[in-house]
Amino acid sequence: MVKKHTFGSSRKLTNRGDIWLADTILKVENLSKTYKVRKSAPIKAVDCISLEAYRGEILGVLGPNGAGKTTTVKMICGLIKPDSGSILINGKDNFKQRSAAMEHISAVLEGNRNIYWRLTVRENLEFFAGLKGKDPRAIKKEIDYYIDFFGLGTKKNETASKLSRGMQQKLAIAVAMVTGSELVLLDEPTLGLDVKASYDIRDLLKQIAAENGRTVLLTSHDMNVVQDTCQRVIIINSGRIIAQDKVSNLMRLFDVKAFKFVAEGRLSENLKQALTQIPHLALVEEEVDTIITLNLEEPRNFYRVVELLGSEDVSLLSINRQELNFEQVFMEILGRSENGGEKMAAL
Amino acid sequence: MAKKWLLFKQLAIKSWIMFRRYFFNGLGGIITLYVIFLVIFLGYKGIAGLGPTDQYLSIEGILVGYILWYLALAAYQDVAYTIQNEAKQGTLEQLYMSVHGFGWVVGFQQIINAFYSLLIAGILAFFLMLTTGKWLNIDLLSLLPLLTLELICFAGVGFALGGLMLIFKRIDSYMQIVQFVLIFFVAAPPSNWLLRLMPGTLGASLIQKVMNGGEALWQLAWQDLLLTVGVALAYLLLGVAIYRICERKAMKSGTLGHY
Repeated sequence: MVKKHTFGSSRKLTNRGDIWLADTILKVENLSKTYKVRKSAPIKAVDCISLEAYRGEILGVLGPNGAGKTTTVKMICGLIKPDSGSILINGKDNFKQRSAAMEHISAVLEGNRNIYWRLTVRENLEFFAGLKGKDPRAIKKEIDYYIDFFGLGTKKNETASKLSRGMQQKLAIAVAMVTGSELVLLDEPTLGLDVKASYDIRDLLKQIAAENGRTVLLTSHDMNVVQDTCQRVIIINSGRIIAQDKVSNLMRLFDVKAFKFVAEGRLSENLKQALTQIPHLALVEEEVDTIITLNLEEPRNFYRVVELLGSEDVSLLSINRQELNFEQVFMEILGRSENGGEKMAAL
Repeated sequence: MAKKWLLFKQLAIKSWIMFRRYFFNGLGGIITLYVIFLVIFLGYKGIAGLGPTDQYLSIEGILVGYILWYLALAAYQDVAYTIQNEAKQGTLEQLYMSVHGFGWVVGFQQIINAFYSLLIAGILAFFLMLTTGKWLNIDLLSLLPLLTLELICFAGVGFALGGLMLIFKRIDSYMQIVQFVLIFFVAAPPSNWLLRLMPGTLGASLIQKVMNGGEALWQLAWQDLLLTVGVALAYLLLGVAIYRICERKAMKSGTLGHY
C-alpha cells in the first residue's frame, strides 16, 4: 500500500458539489486555429474555444476524430501557436510568460512516446524532473513515491524499451507527475492498452486528482474511461465546443424514460394495432413467434401498455428501464450538433 | 543560474549514461572511421608514394583534414540529428515544454556533444598518428580555441539543417550530401575571399598551420583569426536564425513534433 502524499499541491481545496475546487488553474479564452493547406481550403481546427479547468478535477475533452482535441491540447502545451485567443496557466500566459507557465504544466501526448526508451525508469524520472527545474537529489522521496505509486518498483532499473506498453504509459504519466506540475494533460492515456492496464490507469488518475490535488485534463475516445474518471467534460466537434458540463448532468439530461417489455409468444394483430397507436412506442418481433420487444419512450403510457397486454393474457418475461451509458449520451450530443442542434447548457 | 546549471548537469548525466550504455556502438563508429582512414592512407601511399610537400596533400595534411572532417560532421550532425531523433522519439515536444526553453536545452547539449566529439577526435588522432608514424603538433592551447570555433561554425550549419528537418521531414538523403560538401569546405585552401567565408575553410587552414606547420596561435595572422571568429559566429547566428524561422513555421502549422 502506497502512503498518501500531496506533492506539488499546497492549496486548500473547497467542495463545490461533487467536484473539489479551489480556483482556476487553466483559463482558455476565444482560442482559434486554422491550418493552411496547400492547394486546398484552409481547415478551421479550433473555432473560438473558451474553457476553464479547476484545481483537483479531472476534465475530459471529447470529440470525434478531427474535432480539434489534440490541437487544443497542443496549444495549451505551447506547442502550436494559436491564431487568436489566450491561454493562462496558473495566471501565466503560455506564450508571453512561457517559462513561468511551463512550471505548472506537463503533458503525456498521444502514443507510446514522451520518454527516453534507452533510459531506465528512474533515469527518466530524474532527467525530466531536471528539465522542469527540479533537482532529482532534492526530490528523491517524490521519485521513490511515484515509482511505487505507479507500480514500477520492480522495473525501476529496467530501460523503458523493455517495459510493456501499459508500463511505458504509467512511466510517462509518472514523469508528468514527478515534475510537480499542477496541471497534467493526457492525450488518449489508455489508447492501445489492454483492459487491465486501462483499469490501472483509470484508478491512478482518480488517485492523482483526489490525493495529490492535481488537475488532469484528458482526451479520450474511450467513453468508459471518461464516465469512470472525469467529473466534467467538454465535447468538441468541428473545432467548436458543443457541450460542457458535469458528466452526471449530461447523463441526467439524456436520461430517457424508456422501458423494455419482453413478452412471450406472438401478439394478435388486434393487439399489435392497438399498441402501435401509442405514441413513441416501437414494437419489434425478435425470435420466431416467441418473444416480442416493446420500447416505450413516454412514461405515462406505461400503464396503457400493461393494460393492453393484460387484456389478452400475454405472458410478460421482463420489464426493464433502459438507461443510457455515456457513449450513447456522447453520440446523442454529437448527433444533435451535426443536425444543427442546440449548444448544450454550460456550467 | 542554479536552474541552468541543473539542466546542464542533467543533460551531461544523460549523455554519459548513453555513452556508457552504448559504448560498443560508439567504439564501432570509431573503428569504422579508423578503417576508412586506413583505406585512404594506403591508397594514397600506393598512388602518391611519399607524397608532395604541400601541406594539404601530404600525409599530415590528409590526417588533419580527416580529423577536421570528423569534427565538422559530428558538430552538424549532433544538432541536426539530435533534433530529428528527438522528434522521432516523441521527446522533442517534452523538451519544448522545459521551463528553461528549448534554446538552452539544445545549446547545452551541443556543448556536451562537443566535449565528446573532441575526446573521440583525440583518440582517433592518436591512432591515426600511430598508424601513419607522422606525429602532429598537438599544441592544445592553440588548437582548442580554433577547434571550438570550427565546432561553433558547423553547429550553425546543423541548426539550419535541423530547422529544415522540422518542416521537411524527409530530407535525410539530402543530409548525406552535406557531409561530402563538408569535405570540400575543410579541405579547400582559402585561396580567395569567397572560400575564406565558407564555413570552416579558413579555420581548417589555421588548424593545418598549427598541427602540420608547427605554428602557435599567436604566430597566426590576427586578421585570419579575427575573420575565423567572425565567420564562426556569423554561421552560428545565421543557423540559429534559420532554425527559429523554421520552428515558428512548424509551430504555426502544428508539425513541431511530427515525424
